[in-house]
Amino acid sequence: MTAELLRGAEAIGLAALMSGVEAYFGYPITPSSEIMEFMASEQGDPRFPRYRAFVQASSEVEAVSMLMGAGAAGHLAMTATSGPGLSLMAEGISHAYVAEIPFLIVDVNRGGPGLGTTEPEQSDYLFVTRSLGHGGSRAIVLAPEGVGEAMELVNRGFRLAFEYRIPVVILTDAIVVHMRETVDVPELRPVLDGVPPWAVRGKRGRGTRNALTTGFLDSRELKEFKEGLERKWRRISEREAYYECHMCDDAEVIYVAFGISARVAAEAVRELRGRGTAAGLFRPITLAPFPSGALARLRGRGIRFVVMEMNEGQMYRDVREALGPDEDVEPIPMMGGIVTRSEVS
Amino acid sequence: MGAEVRQAKRIGLLYDGRASTFCPGCEHGLLLKLIARALEELGVADRAVMVGTVGCSSLGYLLFDSDFVQAPHGRAPAVMAGIKLVEPDAVVFAIQGDGDALSIGLQELLYAADRGIPMTIFMYNNMTFGMTGGQMAPTTIPGMRTTTTPRGRDVKLSGSPIDACRLLSAIDGPAYLRRAILAPRPLRVKGKIFYSAREALEAYRIVLNAFRAQLKGGFSFVEFVGTCNVNWRMGIDESKAFVHEVGAKYFPPGLCRDIYGLEGGGKV
Repeated sequence: MTAELLRGAEAIGLAALMSGVEAYFGYPITPSSEIMEFMASEQGDPRFPRYRAFVQASSEVEAVSMLMGAGAAGHLAMTATSGPGLSLMAEGISHAYVAEIPFLIVDVNRGGPGLGTTEPEQSDYLFVTRSLGHGGSRAIVLAPEGVGEAMELVNRGFRLAFEYRIPVVILTDAIVVHMRETVDVPELRPVLDGVPPWAVRGKRGRGTRNALTTGFLDSRELKEFKEGLERKWRRISEREAYYECHMCDDAEVIYVAFGISARVAAEAVRELRGRGTAAGLFRPITLAPFPSGALARLRGRGIRFVVMEMNEGQMYRDVREALGPDEDVEPIPMMGGIVTRSEVS
Repeated sequence: MGAEVRQAKRIGLLYDGRASTFCPGCEHGLLLKLIARALEELGVADRAVMVGTVGCSSLGYLLFDSDFVQAPHGRAPAVMAGIKLVEPDAVVFAIQGDGDALSIGLQELLYAADRGIPMTIFMYNNMTFGMTGGQMAPTTIPGMRTTTTPRGRDVKLSGSPIDACRLLSAIDGPAYLRRAILAPRPLRVKGKIFYSAREALEAYRIVLNAFRAQLKGGFSFVEFVGTCNVNWRMGIDESKAFVHEVGAKYFPPGLCRDIYGLEGGGKV
């Protein structure tokens, strides 16, 4: 490991390149464009010979469709966008979910809905965790708390995308992407060695074709296929729900927060501990699947839970569902892209 | 060589014994057969990837035994670009309908063409939305009745037919642009109707050229004008005659671009 001062956008791009990303297809949108600009500048970098396709698409619709193509062919492809772009990408994500096509989308959350602001919010939470696209499609959602973890989660995101053949979203925000932090650059290894057996690239001697379809002529066929997708999602939920529980053992107050809000909450925990209050932090790292089981294990201890998020209280519902009706759960919603210490206390 | 010709006659890329899912009289099946035969003649069947579109053309994958991925409605050119950029050896093609290519997917078509990414698109222009039941398409000719233009297409309200070849001619990217009539001309001989073989033979040469253009590194687009007798509420022979007598006035056959001189280096 080497320590480097890296901007979030650069770190995300670097992690993707170290993971063996082969294609970047995107459309500029604030506050995500720095990732695209970095990937544009990395074309031809001799350190990353696998990386060979960069296209500035004509829209997010076109970009996500290109991701479908490269993913279907069994290659690592990614994009970065923000809320209004993610809305357009929902079409491709729904198709990719049912066709089981892997790719990675970095959603740099800005204030919404609509054009909103270009300031950071966490208001895409419900959209990305509940049903990203029509017909009950899903994605695995990972939320880094800072630049260093963003690198690890990009690598893990690509691994999960290919292991489970599912779209993966990194939900982050303008603070993480624009901030410079000293990072112990992790040793990330390429995710793929060789071509996956399901890749659509011509039969090339295979006896049977590979066909990734999203349409079904028979209702029973779709029913059985969707039951398979649900089994896969349960498997993902059981194995891949990640979280961090910081100073939870003796805590009387536990903040529940993700992404950059968790950094603010961690500061509040330090302050409260300094004043003699036993505070802790529960930080979901995967937002989908949500680490409900781990949170539920904290029930019945008389803990006061405080859900801190930069939206109108979207994750609060997941926390309440995990903890049940009897626990003391208080939401602290912060809207409009404003993070202040005073609001926390 | 002889063995290859025999294999081409069997058309290994088409599933044996499967019933066609297309309506009687439709030329989609003919187009699939020409494509399968051309890929085999060119020796690239094993590298072929069909990208599925939305519309009647989407049913083609049930009959066609190549690798396949389904695109969202209109997005096939973008999906094809995604494949081609990471798998340059693949021979990537799609059959788009006029609605898929020129209505919901015009932007994807235009930009794939503009970038000149090697791929081959066959647009089956039957002047209507076939699969959804005969609604107006961008190619519906003025006055033509559809379920959404019950009094006939009014150009003041709904615009005029879009000429895909002229539109794509306005940009530099494409290598091969061609329009042809796919529907065989019905010929009346001694009171009986026979179909001309000329259209299919010419279409086969065009399909070969379209793939040759891709193999040379170019973007190729062919518009085939065909029928949809069911949604046109016409008999099969009547619909084929309609394409030649009326359709051809709006969609005249011809070469719009041929940078490799595949058709003998004539007009460009």
